[in-house]
Amino acid sequence: MTVTETLAFSDEAMKKYEWLLSRYPTRKAALLPTLRIAESEFGELGVPQMKYVADLMEIPPATVFGVVTFYTHYRRAGVGKYHLQVCSTLSCALRGSGDVVSRVTERLGIGVGETSECGLFTLSKVECLGSCDTAPVIQCNDDYHEGLSLEDVDALIEQLRQEAGKGGA
Amino acid sequence: MSDSNSTVRWTLNGTEVENEAGMTIMEAAKVHGVDIPQFCYHPGLSIAGNCRICMVESNRSPKPVISCSERIAEGLEIKTQSEVAVDARNSVMEFQLINHPLDCPVCDKAGECVLQDHSYEHGPDRSRFVEDKNIRHTKELGPTIDIWGNRCIVCTRCVRFCDEISGTGELCVVERGDRSVVDVFPGVPIDNSLAGNTVDICPVGALISSDFKYEARVWNMDKTSSVCGGCSRGCNVEVETLDGFVKRLTPRENLDVNDWWMCDHGRYGWRHLYADSRLEGAQHDGQAVSPTGTSGALHQLLSSSSSTAFLVDPFMTCEELHLVRSIANSLGGSTIAGWLPAAGTEENFPGGFKISADKHPNRKGAEHVLGGDLFTTSADQLKSALSNGSIDTLVAFVGGDGFEGAGGEWNDLISKAGKRIVFATQQGSWCEGADLVIPATAPLEKEGVWVNEDDRAQRTRSCRSLTSNHFPSELVVLQELQVHMEQRNRPLSAAGIFRELSEASDAFSGHSHSSLGDSGSPLSQRPAAMSSEGGQS
Repeated sequence: MTVTETLAFSDEAMKKYEWLLSRYPTRKAALLPTLRIAESEFGELGVPQMKYVADLMEIPPATVFGVVTFYTHYRRAGVGKYHLQVCSTLSCALRGSGDVVSRVTERLGIGVGETSECGLFTLSKVECLGSCDTAPVIQCNDDYHEGLSLEDVDALIEQLRQEAGKGGA
Repeated sequence: MSDSNSTVRWTLNGTEVENEAGMTIMEAAKVHGVDIPQFCYHPGLSIAGNCRICMVESNRSPKPVISCSERIAEGLEIKTQSEVAVDARNSVMEFQLINHPLDCPVCDKAGECVLQDHSYEHGPDRSRFVEDKNIRHTKELGPTIDIWGNRCIVCTRCVRFCDEISGTGELCVVERGDRSVVDVFPGVPIDNSLAGNTVDICPVGALISSDFKYEARVWNMDKTSSVCGGCSRGCNVEVETLDGFVKRLTPRENLDVNDWWMCDHGRYGWRHLYADSRLEGAQHDGQAVSPTGTSGALHQLLSSSSSTAFLVDPFMTCEELHLVRSIANSLGGSTIAGWLPAAGTEENFPGGFKISADKHPNRKGAEHVLGGDLFTTSADQLKSALSNGSIDTLVAFVGGDGFEGAGGEWNDLISKAGKRIVFATQQGSWCEGADLVIPATAPLEKEGVWVNEDDRAQRTRSCRSLTSNHFPSELVVLQELQVHMEQRNRPLSAAGIFRELSEASDAFSGHSHSSLGDSGSPLSQRPAAMSSEGGQS
């Protein structure tokens, strides 16, 4: 996603933002969901996007920066089209999440925290995704892929590649 | 029985004690002389409770509690030295040191580092950590502040300071877990008038003043408890010098004036002490006068004068102004007026800190010693007297950092006096063509009392900078003049002159240097029964 010079929420997003404000005791408290809106509006949360949110909410940009970098689940600048977040907490670790990470690394040629050259995939190791009963789990953008075998991982990558191809990316 | 329900009875290390309700365990323990270690806690900031070093054992909790946020309650039993408490502290210390580099020998904080002190007192003597330490950024956060991320223990004191006291919010903690470190938003550096305080409150060497970096080891410096001369607020400061050179200024706690803080204008505003244009010797008609001959030359000029006027500045101490008054009185028919050389703007901060628009540290004091119309009516009278040429000799004082060209109307008027004597900190236009130029002490070099904008008298002490060691201060020269005039047998200390002032002036009566002490006192609050005792100095 390219960054245009004038970032702004669409009317619809702005309406949603104002509705959010009415549901929180302070403006600052609405930061997390507002960042979600910004994410879907702008595709990623880079420096200009964080600045826009800070100005919109009238809070220091450093506060936004701290919050965005604290959580793993926001799409920070430079993240590929598909963000593969492999849960590596206890249940998943016992059920082989380490092998899942190795498999992704092998197939895509990227390490943890890296983005593939084609710009499609970013691999992250994250803490508990709250789906221990179906370990091991990969969260790809907003979707969970559960109970993965290594073959499932291959299939997932293949499916995502095809999807991207169809979308004309 | 407690006399009211505002008092709480609790037990501290086996002793039953009483404190006001609502106090935290840490505050209350301090009242009874028990110091509990702290990193993230700062009395001027909100409670974060993230460093955990202040954990103590409580009878109300199966696990140790943090004493900075837990409040005292009736029947609470707290142990600060039990095995549980000591164990907790030792473990926290071990965690704090996991990623902390052992770079004390090159760290500017060493010697005044809270982590160093607590490590010595509570920490392990070796590390069990065999893994690689985390590496975090070392960079500039702003024009005056650098960060050594590896040293940061993420106590967030600096972040809270920028949120709560300066209200500018430039700092944040980025990332999480052991990667977390203090940072600024890209392109928004920390750049506010109070930024320097973040370095003072950093309990480790993570935030470093780029001004003081690598300048001195803190234990080698001499400290002088003084008052900042940057504005009429009169923030209490510690002036730290190494071999006669000021290295840094740090704020000195005074809850009635500046709390724990000072502004960067004052903090970095001492370089004029070592300006190239600084005067270090007296000159009579272009000829150098020896330090011992200064008062003689002054006396010679004044004794042949038919009418003398004094133009004082509001950087002079009350003692110096008092001497000017008695000299003017004994000369007979001489006038005194004051001028206000500096201008500035007021700055207010959400934390309650104020930088005054009035940049003169002793304007109030000068008005008390020499009259409320010193800078108004008297100044106008002197202006007209100078322009009709009715002043034979003018004695002008140019303190502060020289104020080249700030005199406005005065710049032209002073040359209309028959003879001109100038006490000046720096070579400037007023010294040109003067009959006698006498070097003057600048703020931080003066010994005496200033009265701030709230009518609070505070002692400013000389840091004995190398420059001011080259010449006698105005306080000495003016008294030597009095000796020549047979008004005085020998020069006294500033305390002695202040006693004369307090006897002569209603505003200062009852006060003395010793009663003012380190933190000063409102002029209206007279110390009890000091007058009959006397003998203070």
